[in-house]
Amino acid sequence: MSNVEQKMNQNLSRNIDTNVKVIQSLLKQNDDVVERTFYLPNQQGNKGTLFYVEGIVDTDKIERALKDLMYTSSANSNAVQTTSTESNLAMSIQTHMSHNSSVKVANTLQEGINGILLGDCFCIIDQSEQGLIFSGKGGEKRSVEEPMAEQVVRGPRDGFTEDIRTNTALVRRRIRDVHLKVEGLELGTKTKTTINVSYINGIVKESLVEEVKQRLNKIEIDGILESNYIEEMIRDAPYSPFSTVLNTERPDKVAAALLEGRVAIFVDNTPFVLVVPAHFWDFLQASDDYYLNFLTGTFIRWVRYIAFIISLTIPSIYVLLTSFHQEMIPTALALTIASGREVIPFPVLFEALVMEIIFELMREAGLRMPKPIGQAVSIVGSLIIGQAAVQAGIVSPFMVIIVALTGISSFSIPNFSASYSIRLIRFPLLIASGTLGLLGFIGMFFLLAIHAVSIRSFGESYLAPATPFKPKDQKDLLIRFPWWHMKNRPELAADNGIREANEKPAPPDKGNSETASNKISDEMNSDANTTSTANKKDASVQRKKSKRIKRKTVKLKDLMKDKNDEDQKSQDNE
Amino acid sequence: MKIKITNGMYMALIINMVYAKSIGVTQGSIARDVGSDMWISTIIATVSAMLLILLTVMIIRRMPKADIFDQSKAMLGPWVGKLICLVIFIFFTLSFGPIMVTFVFHLKDFFLPEAPLFLFVFIAVLVGGFAIYFGIEVIARMALIGVFSILLLNGLLILGALEDFDVRELLPVFEFGITKPVIASRHHLADWSIVIMMCLIILPLVDNQKEWGRSSLVGVIFSFIFIVMWPILETGVLTSQVTSQYLIACMQMARSAHLGFFLHRYEMFMIAFFGISILTQIAIALLCGSVALSKLFGLKDFRPLIIPVSLIMGGYGYWVVQSHNHAMDILENSWVSLSLSITLGVVGVVWILGFFLKKKFKSEKG
Repeated sequence: MSNVEQKMNQNLSRNIDTNVKVIQSLLKQNDDVVERTFYLPNQQGNKGTLFYVEGIVDTDKIERALKDLMYTSSANSNAVQTTSTESNLAMSIQTHMSHNSSVKVANTLQEGINGILLGDCFCIIDQSEQGLIFSGKGGEKRSVEEPMAEQVVRGPRDGFTEDIRTNTALVRRRIRDVHLKVEGLELGTKTKTTINVSYINGIVKESLVEEVKQRLNKIEIDGILESNYIEEMIRDAPYSPFSTVLNTERPDKVAAALLEGRVAIFVDNTPFVLVVPAHFWDFLQASDDYYLNFLTGTFIRWVRYIAFIISLTIPSIYVLLTSFHQEMIPTALALTIASGREVIPFPVLFEALVMEIIFELMREAGLRMPKPIGQAVSIVGSLIIGQAAVQAGIVSPFMVIIVALTGISSFSIPNFSASYSIRLIRFPLLIASGTLGLLGFIGMFFLLAIHAVSIRSFGESYLAPATPFKPKDQKDLLIRFPWWHMKNRPELAADNGIREANEKPAPPDKGNSETASNKISDEMNSDANTTSTANKKDASVQRKKSKRIKRKTVKLKDLMKDKNDEDQKSQDNE
Repeated sequence: MKIKITNGMYMALIINMVYAKSIGVTQGSIARDVGSDMWISTIIATVSAMLLILLTVMIIRRMPKADIFDQSKAMLGPWVGKLICLVIFIFFTLSFGPIMVTFVFHLKDFFLPEAPLFLFVFIAVLVGGFAIYFGIEVIARMALIGVFSILLLNGLLILGALEDFDVRELLPVFEFGITKPVIASRHHLADWSIVIMMCLIILPLVDNQKEWGRSSLVGVIFSFIFIVMWPILETGVLTSQVTSQYLIACMQMARSAHLGFFLHRYEMFMIAFFGISILTQIAIALLCGSVALSKLFGLKDFRPLIIPVSLIMGGYGYWVVQSHNHAMDILENSWVSLSLSITLGVVGVVWILGFFLKKKFKSEKG
């Protein structure tokens, strides 16, 4: 055991100066480690010291902790005085003085040092054999932004960040269920990276969770800087070009995977979350498939499947047809290709390889260069070099079209790991086709197919549910069935029962007054009837009134007339 | 954990194992015997195959966890058991001849006439050996994809050939009498013999034991549906005379099929979609040969024998396909008689002896 390890493993001393010296010796030559001394406001005036690393802590939290310790109210201070003994001073402070929501007691130096390095604040107090760890994690963080590599037209715009807590919160915000579990562990002897394993209890198979934990616990490495470190060490097929662990920047994708009974692995300091098990088809499916109308979703999914086939096979098929099996090309097309190739001095295979390599070169250069220059590289590469190469008679125009088509197709594959895999396996297929024609193509294709069929991802067949054929899971493979039709969870889930119980939506049935909409329409009709009845009543009353008035007016007129006649008669008599 | 395959995979294996050769090479042989009645011979052979496969299921059901090697060892003792292993290994080595004929001549005659023969055999053995290294489950899963390919190929061929189809070419029915189509069915029954021998070895690995019989029958019926379309189309489009002129009649059929201007020839579709079927045949032949040899030498795992078996079978296959006449001679004469003798012999002997040695099964089970 080294000197450092010996120091780390020792318990805290009652003498604060001894503890401070040990911590100083362990964290020496670290300019960013801050040491702050203070005195408790109790009668003894115990000396205390805080240690933290500047930059990874939230200074406000530290200041609040310090304020609690130095200027706490006399009532609380007295409580500490009366309840504390020498052995539980730290615990008493935790209970009576601190406002920090997640302060905990540390018994060893190891706990304290780990706390400091994780971004917490370690506090040691004189005459106490225990220290306190105040939660102080903070520092500068990237805010939640739209994922760079997995953009969608319709759907949530938030993506994972480098902060693991933000990432788990983004998923928890989507699954507000008591069964959602986020288990933590630490990997990397030097980096001590926080890893979270997340799943939904009851939906996930327990054996899968156990397997994930077992594989993670087997990892012995000094540092985990990105989730690929984990991915490479938990894969089922370590030498395979196919990725058997799904990685994503999208919280909605992780939430969907958890609801299907998968397990997510969050790694601190990376926005890429791992999802296991992963099937081959998962890499060709995008979140959009589920956020758009199922017909549109199915259509774009098919476009991607076709893009995958084009990206993998088109250069090889072109090379084998033009090099070996010209008779298979329709005559008119064969003549066009031949006229384009007339001045090309190289064999088709060489031409294809050169073009593919140049394309990869441009893609890589465009990616690595600063953004504005990267775009320029792409434009210069595609327009100027392509045009110039054709005019110079180095490559045929048809080959440029083939390579461009292949490139565009590979861009439409939503997962970049899958895109890289396809780029990788395209080359052996191309070489086999260019050297042995159809025989080479078939041979290499079947070797790849057999390999893909043979691999597994955490016990699940990689090509499932296509092969082995799982009839119930076909609702989300070639065709994305409407949500009201996907009643069960996929077979990989433990709870394979009803996922949703909605029926196919339909307009309200006129004869059936059971449905809510019918009730509404009935109510509306009855209101209208009531209104009209009331109106009718009012009208009849009005009519009766007017008739009465008319009758009275006529009577009045008759009376007036009679009176006038009588008056006239009397006047005549006079 | 012992590897298990589902009943669906088992059916897919049956379909793929018989499809590749039966649609063209076999139909050419039958056409040379009975002309336009080749579809009738296909039906007769299929009915015979149904009976044989049911017999196979009955045999394996006696000791459901034991394949034919273990069963014969339990029933007749280790030496007879070893003899059965040797016979079955010889059978699968012989079967590699017609399988290579199908694979090599499809590619060599129609795509790469100048390529060296060795290359075809080497690639076949390489891919087959690679597949069997992962075990029966991987081959069975590939076979599932193969069924979809077969469906696509058949669909495309119907679309491309229906325009030129003339139903009158199927007439007269029973042109050569009733006996001749029955005798000619031996060619197709020889194809089925490979399936029967495969079932004797892999049936204990099939998951649902209760459904063995039904799955086997359904597999045979589906195979028949997929295959019988070919002799009918070959007769109606190519005519039986033309079909009989070719060793690989199905490729000629594919060549004459077309969909519009740009899909003017189907050979590439043919290779692309029937490829899984022929590679399943290659892989299963290698697997069964390796398993037989491993049981013969008392090895627990067949994998160490993949390379030696590949060399033996590949060598025999290479010898068979050296020339067309040689290949046709073996295909239509020695292979048919040997395969049927071995299959009927093994199945018949084990089935009959099983009645007399029932006690041995009980003691083994107990």
